[in-house]
Amino acid sequence: MNDVLLLAKTHVVTALRERVTLFWFLIFPVFLLTILTLIFGRLGEEGEISFEISLINRDSSSATAGDFSAMIAEVFTKMGSPHIEGQKPLFSVHVPQADDDLDTFLEREEHALRRGHRAAIVVIPEGFHDAALHAVMNPSGIAQPATLRVYMSRNDVASEMATEIITHVLAEVDREILVRTGHFDPGKAIARETVWAGQDTGEIRYVDFLLPGVVLMGFFTNGLFGVPGAILFNRDRKVLRRYWVTPLSVSRYLAGFALGHLSLCVLQLVLLLLLGRFAFGATVEFAQLDAVLILILAAVTFMAFGFLIASLARTANAGMAIANILNMPMMFLSGMFFPISGLPTFLLAVVYVNPVSYLVEGLRASLGVQSSTFPSILLVIVPLGWIAASVAVAAGKLKWDVAR
Amino acid sequence: MNAFRALLTAELRILLRDRMTFFFTLLFPLIFILIFGFLMGNIGNVDRASLGVAFLADVDRALLEETIAEAGALEIVPFDSLESLEGAVAKGSVDFGTAWDGEVLRLIYDPNRVQENYAFQQVADGITNDFDLKRQGLSPPVHVEPIHVGLVAATSWFNRVVPGILAFSVLSAGLFAVSGHLTAMKERRILDRMIVTPMPPVGLLAAIAVVRLILVYVSTLITLATSVLLFDLAFDVNWFHYTVFVGCATLGTMGLGTIIALVVRRPSSAGNLANVLAMVMMFLAGIYFPVELMPAFLRILSKGLPLTHMADAMRYATGVMEMSGGQFWTTALAFLGTACVLFPILARYVVRPARQ
Repeated sequence: MNDVLLLAKTHVVTALRERVTLFWFLIFPVFLLTILTLIFGRLGEEGEISFEISLINRDSSSATAGDFSAMIAEVFTKMGSPHIEGQKPLFSVHVPQADDDLDTFLEREEHALRRGHRAAIVVIPEGFHDAALHAVMNPSGIAQPATLRVYMSRNDVASEMATEIITHVLAEVDREILVRTGHFDPGKAIARETVWAGQDTGEIRYVDFLLPGVVLMGFFTNGLFGVPGAILFNRDRKVLRRYWVTPLSVSRYLAGFALGHLSLCVLQLVLLLLLGRFAFGATVEFAQLDAVLILILAAVTFMAFGFLIASLARTANAGMAIANILNMPMMFLSGMFFPISGLPTFLLAVVYVNPVSYLVEGLRASLGVQSSTFPSILLVIVPLGWIAASVAVAAGKLKWDVAR
Repeated sequence: MNAFRALLTAELRILLRDRMTFFFTLLFPLIFILIFGFLMGNIGNVDRASLGVAFLADVDRALLEETIAEAGALEIVPFDSLESLEGAVAKGSVDFGTAWDGEVLRLIYDPNRVQENYAFQQVADGITNDFDLKRQGLSPPVHVEPIHVGLVAATSWFNRVVPGILAFSVLSAGLFAVSGHLTAMKERRILDRMIVTPMPPVGLLAAIAVVRLILVYVSTLITLATSVLLFDLAFDVNWFHYTVFVGCATLGTMGLGTIIALVVRRPSSAGNLANVLAMVMMFLAGIYFPVELMPAFLRILSKGLPLTHMADAMRYATGVMEMSGGQFWTTALAFLGTACVLFPILARYVVRPARQ
C-alpha cells in the first residue's frame, strides 16, 4: 500500500513542480473563471461598465426650465453623475462649452465616435420641445412623435450597447411624461412576468453557470494533457523502465498514478470552489451526492481518455500534439462555456459523441443550474462507454517501455 | 546567394515535413473559425434572433402582433401553449419567448444563455413598453432615431472576430518560429553545424523569416476565404495594408519570440511559455469578446498587449474597423521596429554555438 501512496505523492509533487503543468491545471482555470466572470457576470451593471457619450441640445424653441428638451438633457446629466461613491457613472457626458459652435462640436464628437472614443452622441434637434408638446397633447398617435437623434456606430459593441441603454432610458421617460400628463394610467399597466424555461429556481447567476464548466475544464485538461504527458515523458526518458526493474507491478503503478491524478483533481476543485465562492459570490452547492458522483465519473473518464491518447502516440511530443488538436473542439463543442444550439449536423455529431457534453450537462443538472437536454441515462452511459473503450484500447496498445 | 537559396529550400522542406507546425499554422485557425462561426456567430445578434410567441387569449392580440412586428427583424415562431413554448426555449429551438393570456405578459428566457439574455431582455422590454402604451391608446411622445456614423459599412460581431483570429494565428506563428523551431534546432545541434559554415546567422534567420512569412500569409488568406465562403461574411480588404501588416506583424512577433528564447532555452519550455502567453493574450485582447465589456483595469491591461493592436490593425486592413492612417502605420512600424531591434539580439545570443 505504501508504494501506491508514494507513487501518488510523487505524481502530485512532480505535477506541481512543473510550472507549465501548474499553469494549465491550476492557474489557467482560475484565470478563465476570473476573466469570464468579470466580463459577463456583471454585464450592464452600473459601476462595472461606463460609456463616454456626448449631449447636444440644439433646441432653442423654448428656453424655460420646464421644457421637454431641458428635461431630456437633465436626465442624461443626472445619469452622468456618480450614483455610487468611488464608481464611474453609467454615462460620462460631454457637453459643448458656452462658446463652442454646435456644428463644429458635433463634427469633432462624430470623429471621436468613429475612432471608438465616444459610444454615442445624443442630439436634441431644433423644435424638439414643440414636437414633444404636440405629441403629448395628441398622445393617441395622431401627431408624429418628437425625434431624438442618437449618433452611433454599428461596428462598435460599446456604441450598440450605449444606444440600447439610451433607448431604454427614453422609453422610461416617455412613460413618465404620459403618467405626469394624466394620459397613462399606471393602474391599468399590464402585469409582466419573467419565466426561466425549465428552471424552478429563477435566474441563474453567471458565476453559478460558469463554475461547473470551469471545474470540468480543469479535470478535462488534467486528463487530456496530464495523463499522456506523465506516462509518455516518463516512458521516453526511461523513468518507467527503472520502475519495472523493481518489484512494482503495472497495476500498482496505475493505482498510484490514478490516486495522484484524482488528488490533483480534488486540489483543483477546492481551489476553484473557494475562488468562486469568496471572490465572486458563487452559491452553487457542490456538496451533493449526485454532483460528487458526476465529478468522480468525469475525473475517471478524462483519465481514461488520457490513457487512450497515450496508447495512440508513439512519443510524448506526438501525445501532446494529439491532445492539443482535440482540446479546443472537445471543450467548445460541449456547451462548457456557450450554448450549443443551432449547430450544423456535422458539428452536432461531434457534440453527441463528445463525453464532455454529457458530463457538463450531468453536472449542471445535478447542481440545479441547467435542465439536461439529453436523457438522464445517457449522462452516465456515454462517459462509461468512453471509459470502457479507452481502457480496452489502452490495455491492448499502450507500451510501458521504449523499444529496445 | 546560392547558400541562401539552399537554406531557403531546406527551411521549406523542414516546414513541409513538420506536420505539427503545418497543422497548427494552417489548420488551427480554420478549426477556430468553424467552431466559433457556428457556435458564436449569432451570439447577442438580436436582429437574427427568433422569438417564440404564444397567444393564450385573443384580448389585444392584434395590438401585440403589431408591436412585435415593429420590434425589428425578429423571426417569429408561433406556439399553441405556454408549455410548448417553454420547452422550445429550453431546447434552444427559439431564442426567447413571450406568452400573452390577456392579463399577464410572460417573457420566457433560457437561463443557460447567460451571455445573450441581456440583449434579449432589452428587446423584450421594448416590446412590453410599446404594448403597454398601445393598450391604453397611446403612442410614445419621443422617438429615438439611431444614425450610424461609421465610414465603413455596419458589420456583425463575427466580422470583427475573424480578423482577430487572423491576428492570433500571426502571433502564434511568429512566437513559435523562434521559441519552438529555432530553439529546437539549437537543441539538436543543427545550429552548431550551420554556424561553422561561412553563412552568417542573419542568413539563417532571413531564411526562417521568409518561409514563415509565406506560410502565415497563405494561412491567413485561407482562413479569410473560408470565413467568407462558409459564413457569408463581407470584408472590404485593402490588400496593400493587409500584406504590409501581416509581414510586419510576423517579423515583429518573431522578434518577441526572441525574448522567450533568451529567457527559456529548452525548446519544449519555450514552446510552452509561448503557448501560455498567446492563450492569456487571446482572452485579454478582445479577440472573442469586446474589450469594451471588460472592467476598466482589464481594458488598460488590454491596451498594453501587442495582440490587441494587431487585431485592431487587421480589422482596419479588412475594412471592419475605423482607424486613422497614422495609427495603422504606427502599429505596423512598431512591429517592424521590434523586429529590427530584436533580430540582431536573436542573431547574437540565440543563434550561437551551444555551450559544451
